Amino acid sequence: MQEVFTFALLFSSIRLATPLIFAALGGLFSERSGVINIALEGMMLAGAFTAAVVTFEYQSAFLGFLSALMAGAFVGVVYALCVIRFEANQVVTGFAINLLMLGLPQFLSGAIYDSTGSTPQIPKEHLLPQFFNNVSIASILAFALIPICWYVFYKTPFGLRLRAVGENPEAADAAGVDVTRLRYTAVIISGILAAAGGAYLSIGQSSLFTRGMTAGRGFIALAALILAKWRPVPVLFACLFFGFTEALSFQIQGIIKLPSGEDIPVQFIQIIPYVLTIIVLAGFIGLSRPPKALGIPYRKE
Amino acid sequence: MRKYISFVVICLIFVGCRSVTESSRRDCNIRVGIVFDIGGKNDRSFNAAAWEGVKRAERELGICLYDIEPGNPTSIEPAMRAFAERNFDLVIGVGFAQAPLMQKVAKDFPHVKFAIVDGVIFEDDGKTPKSNVASLVFREHEGSYLVGMIAAAKSKSGIIGFLGGMDIKLIHRFKTGYEEGARSINPSIRVIENYVGVTDAAWNNPGKGKELALSQIEKGADVIFTAAGNSGLGAFDAVEQYGRDEKGEAKKYVIGVDSNQNGVKPGFVLTSMVKRVDNAVYEVVKEVLEKRFQGGIHSFGLDKDGVAYAMDENNAGLIPDDVIKKVEAAKREIIEGKIKVTDAMAN
Repeated sequence: MQEVFTFALLFSSIRLATPLIFAALGGLFSERSGVINIALEGMMLAGAFTAAVVTFEYQSAFLGFLSALMAGAFVGVVYALCVIRFEANQVVTGFAINLLMLGLPQFLSGAIYDSTGSTPQIPKEHLLPQFFNNVSIASILAFALIPICWYVFYKTPFGLRLRAVGENPEAADAAGVDVTRLRYTAVIISGILAAAGGAYLSIGQSSLFTRGMTAGRGFIALAALILAKWRPVPVLFACLFFGFTEALSFQIQGIIKLPSGEDIPVQFIQIIPYVLTIIVLAGFIGLSRPPKALGIPYRKE
Repeated sequence: MRKYISFVVICLIFVGCRSVTESSRRDCNIRVGIVFDIGGKNDRSFNAAAWEGVKRAERELGICLYDIEPGNPTSIEPAMRAFAERNFDLVIGVGFAQAPLMQKVAKDFPHVKFAIVDGVIFEDDGKTPKSNVASLVFREHEGSYLVGMIAAAKSKSGIIGFLGGMDIKLIHRFKTGYEEGARSINPSIRVIENYVGVTDAAWNNPGKGKELALSQIEKGADVIFTAAGNSGLGAFDAVEQYGRDEKGEAKKYVIGVDSNQNGVKPGFVLTSMVKRVDNAVYEVVKEVLEKRFQGGIHSFGLDKDGVAYAMDENNAGLIPDDVIKKVEAAKREIIEGKIKVTDAMAN
């Protein structure tokens, strides 16, 4: 047991939680404004790919990170146009974006590097800087974003309007809030944040982009968002919880044995995060109520 | 406007059809189609090796090469069928995951020749190998035994790591060979084993691969053998992070797999357990061309350099000469049958 609960576990949790925090905060902005964002996964992939390519080409993680944010904003604009301007079904459109982002980066990577599997590896010196215990600067940024988001949501007029638009757009409109513009802004911020999470994956945690490298983290981020009841500070704890359970499953693999001396099958260890999630979701957090206008397009009377 | 668009579309379709007929009219000795695994042809590892082999065949033998990289597992079978329906001379499937699919396709197209890497296709009775399929399998446990010896000889802590991709029999084969080889050098060595996942996404998750490698290093491992496709590249990042000591030697090492990965992070890669998928694929193309194709199991081990440990300028000096002598001796004994390495897939 002593081998399992170590400092390494703590830092591993932080590293694993980082992309989730970015993506979940992204989801937070979009969903509190009333737009479902299944497309988090696709936005992360867009960010991861852009970051890897730009960092490799210009040898600057800073530039790579920045372009990832722009790519995220771009995907956000596309998604917002579909679901706000053209009132397309938000779940279906989100999925379409995810599917697009499973293919598009491969296509571009094939065109640029003649390699559809992955982009070239970036030398360590050009990756995002890291501090003690491999904690990246991006992780620190993610943690810093939590109080900032809390402040934006609860202490600024923008936050108040955002929450109002997600709960009751008609009333917000009557009070003079431009619902459409606010939702556009929220979805674009959402894209930027999710892309930051993706960029962390490709130029912070690893050193290249491979197809579908987010491996479902966008959806885990959505689960964290629900677990956190769509509030910024609990988002941090929800993401840390997911990061912790995943880190725990790494630590247990090959260490804890069955009484018979055999290894615990990997499949069992890998369901730990999900089982814990179900237990926590069902047993501890109580009712998780989404924003009232979530998923409903708003048409001005 | 609409008319204009439909005109353009029709033109495009026409142009598209033309290019297809033209390319099939090109002078080809034979037409070869290859369907890659989910990792894609540039995974710097297993698929890359197969790609290397068919590219060489294209250059040297004048074949026409068509390749498909399936985006998800469900598009593998249609891709195989597409090749078979057009009467390709040889259809190659890369990866164990394609075996059950090729089983079906090869049955429906008995006159088309198939080859599968890392899988064995049987007739319906489940015993006799299918006659129109060349099953190219490798005795990975033999090569893994040798790199296990190198890992144990290099390890100062007496703890080494194994990072597998998907938790399947094929990968266990690498692990058991590695462990046995390590024990032959240091009987009390401890092997920490981890797997990235249980689905095919496990081959494409370098972030998780790195976390697992870091957790192994935290537990004391100083040499890690990866058999995890793209995810394994995460372990390369992990060992690089631990940097070099004052003598300029890496503090932690990684052992690559399938392709020669010594050059991925020079100085940090002890060696690579190469699987000459390229040679095997090239050979089977050549056999088809020379009309001496034979179905059944083609097994590649240390004897024909089907598996080997890679030595080149990138890892020269990392492995002491006396270790290499021991490894070479073990290699001879394995070929002669004096050392029996356990095959995890045999039972």
